[in-house]
Amino acid sequence: MNVSLSARNIVKHFGGVTALSDGNLDVSSGTVVALLGANGSGKSTLAKIITGVLEPDGGGIELDGRPVRFTSPQAAMQQGIAAVYQELSLIPDMTVTENIWLGHEPLRWGVRVNRRVLLQRTEALLDLFRGAFQPTLEPDAPVASLPPDEKQIVEILKAISREPRLMILDEATASLDSRQVQRLFELMTTWKQQGMALVFVSHRMDEIFRVADQAVVLRNGATAGALPMADASERKLVSLMVGVEARSPATVVGAETVQRRAETSARIRLATRDLAADRLHEVNFTVHDGELVGLGGLRGQGQEELLLALFGAIPFHGKIILDDEPVHFAHPRDAMERGVAYVPGERAAQGLLLIRSILENLQLPSWARYGAILDMREARSDAQRISDDLSLVMASLDAPVESLSGGNAQKVVLGKWLLREPTLLLLNDPTKGVDVGTKAEFYQKLTELRNDGAAILFYSSDDDELLGLCDRVLVMQDGHIRAELQGDDLTRANLVAASMGAPQENQAQPNHAQSDVQEAA
Amino acid sequence: MSKPNFKHLNLRHPYLLALGLLIVAVLVNAYLQPNLFEGRVLNSNLRTFLPLMILAVGQTIVIIAGGIDLSVGAMVSLTSAVLVTNMQPDSPPGHILLVILLALGVGMAAGALNGLAVAFLRLQPIVTTYATSFIFAGLALWVLPRPGGVMPIEFARAYRRTMPLGLPLGFYVAALIILIWVFLRRTRFGNYLFAVGGQPASAYATGVPVNLIRFSTYVIMGLMAAFSALALTLMTSSGDPRMGDAMTLDSIVAVVLGGTRLSGGQGGVAGSIMGVIILGLIRNIISFANVPTWWQTLVDALIIIVALAAPGAVRLLRRRLTT
Repeated sequence: MNVSLSARNIVKHFGGVTALSDGNLDVSSGTVVALLGANGSGKSTLAKIITGVLEPDGGGIELDGRPVRFTSPQAAMQQGIAAVYQELSLIPDMTVTENIWLGHEPLRWGVRVNRRVLLQRTEALLDLFRGAFQPTLEPDAPVASLPPDEKQIVEILKAISREPRLMILDEATASLDSRQVQRLFELMTTWKQQGMALVFVSHRMDEIFRVADQAVVLRNGATAGALPMADASERKLVSLMVGVEARSPATVVGAETVQRRAETSARIRLATRDLAADRLHEVNFTVHDGELVGLGGLRGQGQEELLLALFGAIPFHGKIILDDEPVHFAHPRDAMERGVAYVPGERAAQGLLLIRSILENLQLPSWARYGAILDMREARSDAQRISDDLSLVMASLDAPVESLSGGNAQKVVLGKWLLREPTLLLLNDPTKGVDVGTKAEFYQKLTELRNDGAAILFYSSDDDELLGLCDRVLVMQDGHIRAELQGDDLTRANLVAASMGAPQENQAQPNHAQSDVQEAA
Repeated sequence: MSKPNFKHLNLRHPYLLALGLLIVAVLVNAYLQPNLFEGRVLNSNLRTFLPLMILAVGQTIVIIAGGIDLSVGAMVSLTSAVLVTNMQPDSPPGHILLVILLALGVGMAAGALNGLAVAFLRLQPIVTTYATSFIFAGLALWVLPRPGGVMPIEFARAYRRTMPLGLPLGFYVAALIILIWVFLRRTRFGNYLFAVGGQPASAYATGVPVNLIRFSTYVIMGLMAAFSALALTLMTSSGDPRMGDAMTLDSIVAVVLGGTRLSGGQGGVAGSIMGVIILGLIRNIISFANVPTWWQTLVDALIIIVALAAPGAVRLLRRRLTT
């Protein structure tokens, strides 16, 4: 089993956004290549192009020295390329066996699935992880009934059942426990010795050093460096991921407008104690009045769950203390009544009624204030005030929201909550797909709100925003707050290092969160 | 642990509810109609149920793969119109066979039209098949403008009277369908059906030809509609361009009763066959109990609403109990 794959100058656009501008990756038999990069650097896109899920817009792939072009996952599979996906490719209602062998079931007489052989082979595959999962993981168990780690194991077994020459593991360890990760790494070593080529995408720095032979670092859609792990250090990898970049509008706004808050004498607006939910573990932190706290880390590390739990939109355990009073919101309505507002990231799906007017969208959470028979004149003048305040560029208040640009649409989402004058504002990556000019206005508005005394918790997948705007940044990984950065510690390198679980350069880690909670309680 | 266990059970035996209902319906029916199990009555009952049975089987396959077909009634009307207009009272067997093949072809072509629109043009199945149902209904009226036409007398008589080994013909058809299904369930195609209905994106990433599978389910549906029309037309011995119209809702009710999930990915044909028998028995009960027939429509509608609401109601109840 000999294989070599070389992806050269891969380009991929999504609409106007360039996900990959110059992706390069080489991997051959007997090696594990770690693919790493910050948010939006193009890791997943590059992985999906190699497995045929996406087609590249430019560049080419060579397999065993011959150029190939994969137009579908089937095409890549036929060449012996298999992938373990993080957002699993399993069918919940089918059994473990059916899922693993879907599409390449051993057949009898060419048509009938050979159940006996199927069961034997499934047992043999399960033996690979035997001892690292619960006895409920049986060949006949429906996948829907399995916990996340066992689903991930099934996903890995499904890929390996195709006996691939090249296997891509995209964040495959995210939901595994340490024993399962250990077993996976042992298996990867065996597969490597048998001549398989492996690409390992991970956000955990320690795992990369444990398992990888080479590292390929992506930055802003281009391969920033490829080096053998023997020559790599955490510092070196982080500096490759970070690079040297021009200052973004977020940095500029933050620097020009206000000084960061120096002291934390203001009263505590929000504190949590051991807040836990699905994908969220024992989160403790505080936010003061007039403070803009950033939430950082790679995507999907529990940031959204944290915001949703605070807004009462998902069930949670632990304590939330708002205004010195323990609260347990069971519904967003309860949170709204206490002055909490949540600006979602998926504005089209969660924030707006696209075909309805700007007026209706702005007033949607606030109609109750205008009487049983709505006082439209007042509603309209309030909406006009907030849209002037946000310098909304629109034809009129009666124009549908879908006629607005992305940035202006996002202003409407913010505006509809500002009308309620929230005291705690939760923002879920609000500037995705927003143009630079509007972003700057958006930042300006956030800074004003902060200066007026609102407490703001701001999740962003854009490190520039966290660096430029926030007084303090909480970095999340695997549902935990891994680091709290402020003052001189709030640097790009520290942000990236913390999101990969690597130690920071300046090890100053005051744990305000703990002491503040005690104060509040 | 009890929750996953229940789920386990429900996944493996989705037709348990149908079996329970079937037993109740048979008991009530036997009480009202003591001669229910006599050969003649059994034959007539099964013959009445058979067209819907065949149709519900096709509907089951479409629904398992994540679709739905609201044009099945119109397809039955169209293919039966094709049958009666091309038959003579004294057609020779060769001619009969040819006309049947023609009707099956028309059914499959109608199904292929649905399949093209849904699978390859990615149109909404509900809206699309509702729209095509008017096309098929219109074609049926064009082929057979008013009720009439005939089936070959000998052929129809033979169909009505044949009872191999003392069991009605419908019994053998049902058994054959279940056998084919059991075989299909163990083929790659069978697995693909459930994968496509369960999680299409995952199925695609696994290399399953999602569009082709969806398309094929509608073609199978068209074929089953033509067989259903054949059974129906042999029973009535004449044609009516609107004879299948009422069967669409019934076919879906039977599938739901049989435990197949309306959103796809779960279920089976045996349950739907039971569902058809339950529906037929309810109809018998209603007629024996001297209840106005519009109750039947109400019952049909209520079954669908309850089936749609049940999963949500269970979730709500569970959440109320846990918090």
